[in-house]
Amino acid sequence: MPAIDRSALLFLVFGVVSLWLGAFFGLLGAWQQVMPGLFDVIPFVKSRPLHVSLVISWIFMVAVGGVYHYLPLLVGRPMHSPRLVRVHLFLWMILGLAVLGSYMLGRFGGREYWEFPPALGGLIAVSWFLLVYNFFRTAMQGRGPWPAYLWMWATGVVFFLLTFLEAYSWLWPRDDANVVRDLTVQWKAYGALTGSWNMLVYGLALVVMERISGDTEYARSRTAFLLYALGFTNLLFGWAHHIYPVPSAPWLRYLAYGVSMTEWILLARMIRHWRHTLDGAQRHQHVLAAHFLYASEAWVFLNLGLALLISIPAINLFTHGTHITVAHAMGSTIGINTMILFAAIFHTVDRVHGDTVTRVQSVRLGFWLLNGGLVLFWLSLIGAGMIKGWYTLMSDLSFQDIMVMVRPFLMSFAAWGIVLFVGITLLAVHASWALLGPFLRSRPVPVDRSTEAYNR
Amino acid sequence: MSHGRSTSFQGVHQRAIILVLVGLFAVQTALTWTSSTSVAPGRGSLSTQALIGRQLYQDHNCTACHQLYGLGGYMGPDLTNVTRAQGKGPDYARGIILHGTQLMPAQQVTPAEAGHLVAYLDAWASSGTYPIRSFDLTPWGTYLQMNDDARD
Repeated sequence: MPAIDRSALLFLVFGVVSLWLGAFFGLLGAWQQVMPGLFDVIPFVKSRPLHVSLVISWIFMVAVGGVYHYLPLLVGRPMHSPRLVRVHLFLWMILGLAVLGSYMLGRFGGREYWEFPPALGGLIAVSWFLLVYNFFRTAMQGRGPWPAYLWMWATGVVFFLLTFLEAYSWLWPRDDANVVRDLTVQWKAYGALTGSWNMLVYGLALVVMERISGDTEYARSRTAFLLYALGFTNLLFGWAHHIYPVPSAPWLRYLAYGVSMTEWILLARMIRHWRHTLDGAQRHQHVLAAHFLYASEAWVFLNLGLALLISIPAINLFTHGTHITVAHAMGSTIGINTMILFAAIFHTVDRVHGDTVTRVQSVRLGFWLLNGGLVLFWLSLIGAGMIKGWYTLMSDLSFQDIMVMVRPFLMSFAAWGIVLFVGITLLAVHASWALLGPFLRSRPVPVDRSTEAYNR
Repeated sequence: MSHGRSTSFQGVHQRAIILVLVGLFAVQTALTWTSSTSVAPGRGSLSTQALIGRQLYQDHNCTACHQLYGLGGYMGPDLTNVTRAQGKGPDYARGIILHGTQLMPAQQVTPAEAGHLVAYLDAWASSGTYPIRSFDLTPWGTYLQMNDDARD
């Protein structure tokens, strides 16, 4: 097997391990919310950042591993520098251990989602710079106009680096520092960061979809570019719906409101094409990766509906700061991103082993437990958020009194979390085992004949 | 590969659109970093003491459980107005930081550090009100905030 493939596959393997660990700490954190004091060795103040960082790591590792895996196939050339891919992987391994160690020791210092000591953020920026350099040196070697997925990946890698640096701008001392600017810039960067990694993930979805269906025209069609442009506009300007209540200039809020509403176009398109989606799901029902892609489309539909509603300021007033925001985050990271990333992983597994591994019964069980559990988990959070939002604004009840009313929903959320965790475990075990196969047996990766189709 | 119904994204129009969007983003970024987030004196500005408090807030990962303007964790209450809310105040906040509650452990900080944390929380309290309980909804899906009583 070429060394570059080994590194790309290792990104996927470590991504799956991150997911499993992240899901474990997420389950622990969910139960600590309803049973404070549970497993005090790792209190909530540690389990939450462990969960968040590991799940973000899952998204990065597999999205970046997917880019390293598919990019040479798509442009018909090897990666510009396989050595830089290995250096990138090595840096992330070191970084992962340092972040886990700092959390376990209770060493924080960073901000929400990047709670580790800020010096480690420098390592992320350096490793990301290697990706940007290697990506463009490789992608520029391809012939002809770029399809939408290459534009998505290019946008994702560049804007991630820019907005990641912006997220750390609080380290820059300013005489006129104030909390409004602090919070606004922080969530401006976070909104664009999320948009950037979504670009990587959605690009991956297009590639897998293209490979399963054999339709190489869609990623070059006007529709694909319209959706790319819509996503890019939201990446740039849609972030302020996170900070509607913050007293920054009103135009920031109105612009975000207007831009967020352009996503109705996406929703309308999905409804229009629903029948086509169902037909496709039937046609490709024998391909496990296709199951994950169709599940992700259903989750885009559900989560986009929720996102559109909570982007309306009058509704956001009631939902902001409640568990509905968590439902939105879980719907995006598990329902959409995780489904697409599993599609990419099982598609890669098919390439490495043929279809036999992905037909295993327990993988299908894992798929249904993950999706079924997630629906009820998501609804429990929405229920909790509706209670919290309504009583926070419309009553004089204290926070503690409101949380007593919310508790049954949080119990349900934690219970369905167990089902989710079992589903993720089944999928993670099979995915890791299948991806590690070539390393354990020193078997070469079969040549992917479909590559030729991309280079005609 | 056939490009019968495909479109090139390398045309002048597409590149122009990207450039316009990135240009607008640069303008928005500049404004966000300056005039659109500047505050009147005493309305959220961070003193030297409050800046030390900000780092302590991050070092103790307070955001895991608490929110500011509804952003952060869900275990504990939002702290935006804790130092100025009726029945609470700086001493209340300092007491909880140093001694904890039934659900929140006492933080391992000195009394001076607790003072810095309270200064940081007070910067938030001086900046505005959250949650917004007094509002008027408009037909456009927006709302008008009616008063800002927790600031003063």
